[in-house]
Amino acid sequence: MDNNRIFRRVGVILALFLLTISIGVPLLLIFWQSVYVDGQWDWMAPIRTITGHHLSGVLLNSVWLSICVVAVTTLLALPLAWMMAKTRMGEHRWVDVILMIPFMTPPYIGSMGWILFMQKGGYLQQWIPSSANWSEMFFSFWGMVLIMSLHLFPFLYLLLRDALIRIGGNLEEAGAVHGARAAYRFRRIILPLLLSSYGMGIMLVFVKTIAEFGTPATFGRKIGYYVMTSEIHKYISSWPIDFGKATSLASVLLSVCLVMWYMQSAMSRKFTYRLVGGKGQRSKRYSLRGGAGWLCGVYLAILLILSVGIPYFSIIAASTMKLRGSGIAFDNLTLDHYKELLSWGSVSMKAIGNSLGLSLAASTVAVVIGTGFALAIGRSSSFMQRVIDLFSLLPNTVPGIVMVVGLILFWNSPWMPVTLYNTYGMVVLTYVVLFLPYTVQYVKSSFTQIDGTLFQAGQVFGGKPLYILRRILIPLILPGMLAGWMMTFTIATRELVGSLLILPPSMQTSATYIFAQFEQGQVSLGMAMAVVTVGMTVLMLLGIEMLNSKRKWNAS
Amino acid sequence: MLGMKTRKKSAMLLLTAVMSISLFGCSTGNTTTGNAAQPAGEGNTAAAAETTKPAGGKLVLYSAGPQKLADNIVSGFTDKTGIEVEMFQGTTGKILARMEAEKSNPVADVVILASLPSAQALKADGLTMPYPEAANADKLNKDWSDAEGNYFSSSASALGIVYNTKLVSTPPTSWADLATPAWKDAVNIPDPTLSGSALDFITGYLSANGEKGWDLLSAYKANGVAMAGANQEALDPVITGAKSIVAAGVDYMAYSSKAKGEPLDIVYPEEGTVISPRPAAILKSSPNVENAKAFIDYLLSDEAQKLVTDAYLIPGREDIEATNRANVKDIPQLKVDWNWMSEHGEETAARFSETFK
Repeated sequence: MDNNRIFRRVGVILALFLLTISIGVPLLLIFWQSVYVDGQWDWMAPIRTITGHHLSGVLLNSVWLSICVVAVTTLLALPLAWMMAKTRMGEHRWVDVILMIPFMTPPYIGSMGWILFMQKGGYLQQWIPSSANWSEMFFSFWGMVLIMSLHLFPFLYLLLRDALIRIGGNLEEAGAVHGARAAYRFRRIILPLLLSSYGMGIMLVFVKTIAEFGTPATFGRKIGYYVMTSEIHKYISSWPIDFGKATSLASVLLSVCLVMWYMQSAMSRKFTYRLVGGKGQRSKRYSLRGGAGWLCGVYLAILLILSVGIPYFSIIAASTMKLRGSGIAFDNLTLDHYKELLSWGSVSMKAIGNSLGLSLAASTVAVVIGTGFALAIGRSSSFMQRVIDLFSLLPNTVPGIVMVVGLILFWNSPWMPVTLYNTYGMVVLTYVVLFLPYTVQYVKSSFTQIDGTLFQAGQVFGGKPLYILRRILIPLILPGMLAGWMMTFTIATRELVGSLLILPPSMQTSATYIFAQFEQGQVSLGMAMAVVTVGMTVLMLLGIEMLNSKRKWNAS
Repeated sequence: MLGMKTRKKSAMLLLTAVMSISLFGCSTGNTTTGNAAQPAGEGNTAAAAETTKPAGGKLVLYSAGPQKLADNIVSGFTDKTGIEVEMFQGTTGKILARMEAEKSNPVADVVILASLPSAQALKADGLTMPYPEAANADKLNKDWSDAEGNYFSSSASALGIVYNTKLVSTPPTSWADLATPAWKDAVNIPDPTLSGSALDFITGYLSANGEKGWDLLSAYKANGVAMAGANQEALDPVITGAKSIVAAGVDYMAYSSKAKGEPLDIVYPEEGTVISPRPAAILKSSPNVENAKAFIDYLLSDEAQKLVTDAYLIPGREDIEATNRANVKDIPQLKVDWNWMSEHGEETAARFSETFK
């Protein structure tokens, strides 16, 4: 048994070491920059920043927005997760891939799509001139909540759906046998079992909303709703630059998110159940007939129209216009932007290649490391494990741009023997650091629900640890790993804020290319690039889905 | 109990395997670098050896838009000298942020910004390298470039009232017109904290009109003028017809969109406007000084100045005229005070943001 302890030690120490190097130190450097002003220690600088700039209102704005987005994503994701887990609709795997589209869309592009659709003289009004007052209603706080929720709900949906599938039918049937009605069964069986996944999901949604930059920058500015990220970004990206102020604000955001994390992990520990046991799972799928079927179909259709249809209608329309000033008309259609974009050897083709290469590298590395961390964290029973848990979540609780600046400060400091800065490796490292939390979360949530008896069974029948690992543990956490890999890949292909700062000069990814086109007034070219990138990602994921659905162990 | 241990054991086995793979992966990852860039360290030592020969080698350029112009200038420069250029493109603010982040290990040789006060600040911080003997520097507009050769404005744009010709039949002729009810809620203005040229306009207007200048800006706010991101973000809603006018819009974007066929045009108000120069500077930390000097020389050459006018910008040299746009002598100018502007840029931008939030 000593071996065991040594393994465990080594694993935990390794995890801590890696996390300290990649996440802890860069963030500490940022903090150090914010309190060490002009060669003086000034511990009050961050606090003065917060109080001195009427920023409490902005902080409240951020938190309120996140709470509302959590509420709306729940409303969108929960019925959908139930439908896809419990009814025949779940057999349509393509729906999952379509639902990933909002997620692959760079947030600022999605918001632009909505803006172009709803604004005065926008595409909706070109169709239905009488819709002018909808535009007024839409350009408001709730419009922003809707856009952000439609962008983030796939997160929560995936987590909830997988949890529902794991719950399976047996427990619910037991309840039914004992005469419980549907509502009661939901309240007393499904809900408690869902809570830990739900907690994880809403924490991620909350944090993503509070750290989101694209939508507040495009839509929020239009309606005069300012949040913390837009303020932080202002201090970093507009003259005169003030990292100190930015990092002070980031530390406040960080504290808010840490409180969230603490609440979530407390809740998770309280509501963790063994669900994946040795007994076979029978999941009964309801066949939907009549009214209920119609209702589900309509619900799904509306959701798809709102989250994919409208933004993409705008994006595709904008990418096929000769003149932006002429609106939607047949004589204004052209595919020239695509021709220009896809001409061989062009800047845009190189950018697409870079994006794909970087995302593949980053998501693969992130899955390997993230799985290791998730296993080291286990059930967050010891203090050390909770520290690792916290650390691996940090990149999700710090706005990306702050994390990136920290990484630059660290890897670019004069005392570094090997500098990664301005290399390809630096970009991969940044993406891995930024997106590590996804893998950790997904794998953790599938690992914590495995019942120990499975491993005991393996041992009773004489399985060696390696064999047990290969035949029991890995197959059970594989769906989580795969979900993490896909998530990382899709987000990495559209990462913008970090890329703008970290890419070596003269290297572009598709996201920075799009951004540059917007800055240069080539909106159509930028939108065409968005269509191409997202289209390619969708095809790739569809391919993976098809391969995946042929596998026996496919639990999700 | 035993089972728990075994489960942990197998988990730990996997964990240690994963960790060692990832560590190994990292260590190999560091040594192999992508094809896109040399590691900065190697680049520096290699470059140090190259500074003795003026041609060949490389140059790192950070340039604010417009992108097509920057691309053309870079390829022209490479054709002429054989020097490979690595270029980073971004707004003035992004370039300054990048320079700040790279403070301890700078890689850029030359920067081109879109705001004169920013270049003055670089000079004041001692980050620029003077190059007074630059070819053709004597032909540059004196007001826009540094007498000691710390920065050279190779191009400039004027700020005007850009309007959608479908929606506006009689364009306004003065800045004050935009505060009248006729233009209620129909005007965008770029955000001076993002757009260098918009900041130049606002500080310029204030330096010419004193504290009274704020009256106009407050009247704008009362009339629903919206602060709308950088230049392009402010202009796009006007092209699509969601808004009618951009106040303090950069003219080269209006000219190039108009040439494409978009329903846009521009007027320069009669009481005068601000011309915002785009200064280029060699950084003191430059590892490729000779190449950087060659680049400045090229920037001020006839060939590059022609590229500037092709992009609908005002050429920096006074002996060259643009034929596709208004020249400096055709544009009524405010009497601006650049020194006042660079001293008050920060507070003006902050106050403007507060006013328009």
